[in-house]
Amino acid sequence: MFKKWNPKSSNAIFGLLLIAPLLVWLLVTIGYPLFLCVKLSFLNVEFIGEKGVFVGLKNYINVVLDASLWHAFRKSLFWVIGNVALQTILGFFAALILNLKIRSVSFMRTWIVLPWILPTVVLAIMWRWMLSGTFGVINYLLEKLGVISQPINYLGSINEAMPALIFINSWRWFPFITVLLLAALQSVPQQEYEAAAVDGANSLQSFFYVTLPNLKPVMTVLGILGPLLTFNVFDVVWLLTQGGPSRATYTVPVLIYERGFKAFALSEAATISVIAFVFLAMFVVVYLLLTKMSVSEYARE
Amino acid sequence: MARYLRGSDYAVFAVKVILLVFLFVIVLFPFYWILVSSFKPTDELIRAIPTFIPETFTVEHYKNLLRVAEYPSYLYNSIVVGLLTTLLSTFLVFLGGYSIYRCEYPGKNIISSFVIASYAVPTTLLTVPLYLIFAGLGLINNLLSLVLINVTLVSPLGVWLLKAFLSSIPREVEEAALVDGAGRLRIMFQLVLPLIAPGIGAVAIFCFITSWTEFLFANIFMLDEFKKTLPVGIARFITQYNVDWGLLMAGAVLTAIPPVILFALFGKSFVRGLTAGATKY
Repeated sequence: MFKKWNPKSSNAIFGLLLIAPLLVWLLVTIGYPLFLCVKLSFLNVEFIGEKGVFVGLKNYINVVLDASLWHAFRKSLFWVIGNVALQTILGFFAALILNLKIRSVSFMRTWIVLPWILPTVVLAIMWRWMLSGTFGVINYLLEKLGVISQPINYLGSINEAMPALIFINSWRWFPFITVLLLAALQSVPQQEYEAAAVDGANSLQSFFYVTLPNLKPVMTVLGILGPLLTFNVFDVVWLLTQGGPSRATYTVPVLIYERGFKAFALSEAATISVIAFVFLAMFVVVYLLLTKMSVSEYARE
Repeated sequence: MARYLRGSDYAVFAVKVILLVFLFVIVLFPFYWILVSSFKPTDELIRAIPTFIPETFTVEHYKNLLRVAEYPSYLYNSIVVGLLTTLLSTFLVFLGGYSIYRCEYPGKNIISSFVIASYAVPTTLLTVPLYLIFAGLGLINNLLSLVLINVTLVSPLGVWLLKAFLSSIPREVEEAALVDGAGRLRIMFQLVLPLIAPGIGAVAIFCFITSWTEFLFANIFMLDEFKKTLPVGIARFITQYNVDWGLLMAGAVLTAIPPVILFALFGKSFVRGLTAGATKY
């Protein structure tokens, strides 16, 4: 059947057959649950196994009128902006350093990803230990350096918990950004720098007119994926603060988890999920319109 | 470059080296800290002034950890889920990646966009419906449910990782084999697969690490104490009233070791795949 090389016909069936298992798998584990989630948000399912009755927009009205949704969204907004800002800064900083021609750097170019590949629980234990108010090495070092006068219980205080979580999550994710930025930096054609130098550009100008434009595709991918993935982070928050203290780190995923799997208000959790999804989808659409780039562009060969 | 350095260049160079050391410390110090802490006896561990090199070296925490009754189950569960996820998803990703990056058919752009975009679907959105589906199928407390969702979580990025490796093989190689009368499947598995072995390795390590690390779904689906995976099991040590820091530290180190070893073996091609995926469109 596939004996003759005919890209138009046999190749097509062959290609579709190859992608089919993965496609079906994703449709069953993502497509169907999404549909079910929307359906659930219009029913009043309280317990597992319950059939539920159609209640129209009742769940949506209840959820929107509940202050905890808005509290969680505010926290999530703060969480996303803080993370994206810090990760981008750290990622850029690291990429520029690792782009230097120093021998010991090549080792680091691979191993910088280490924080990213670790189980979150390891990360949680690590940072809880280092940030501890009583035995924490961070407090000890900061006191030695004279930055602080008395130990701070970072994860246990209302003002410090969120910034501490943002720092920890950024520490985990900035290496990912670094690797992508580094790749883009190294693929900038050398001639462009030379041409800029001939035109009399100083290093700052060549950064803005040569480097940055070449980083744009990667930045666009990061600009969409970064906020999306950050918004959805649950395990870091849950393992380190469980949304506390006093709901200081109570983000939307924590709210969904608590409603769904602590209170078992499944329809309510589904409703919040759908609202969050619509919000994220709108974000993506706006972002894509702003950057005039379609998602398919980075799936292209 | 270093041969023609002027005075001011030396200063710039020195600043760069300092920044590099700073980066090293930010990334690697936490690992060092948790490793040395896991070997300190408890009284040294909770001293107000920390020791940067352990005064007394002990493996008591590791012994204690192995004595925790559920630990072997956690380990077993994580290994089973990790291996099954890796085998299944690597296979699906190879087929799918080959299809997307080597075949032409109508609707390919839509399909490949869907595959990649599914990476961005909120995982928290999936928790409630998936819980209901698996409860209906009787898959709660069944490791299979974790394999099912883990494959979904890793495949999109896995396909993306393969792109760079697949596009490094010239099409002429495949066309020549086809002219020689080899079947398409044979070309895929006997010609292309060995050529992109590093890429397959990179995908496999990514799948295993993600599965090993996954917390949210394992926490929701595995209610039975002896069905929990390592991250969820170890996390229970944190929430206990009396935190045994030594035990936690030993648990963290042992949980981190498999990903680190795998990364040492395949990390370079993994990063290469990520890198190429980011620059080539």
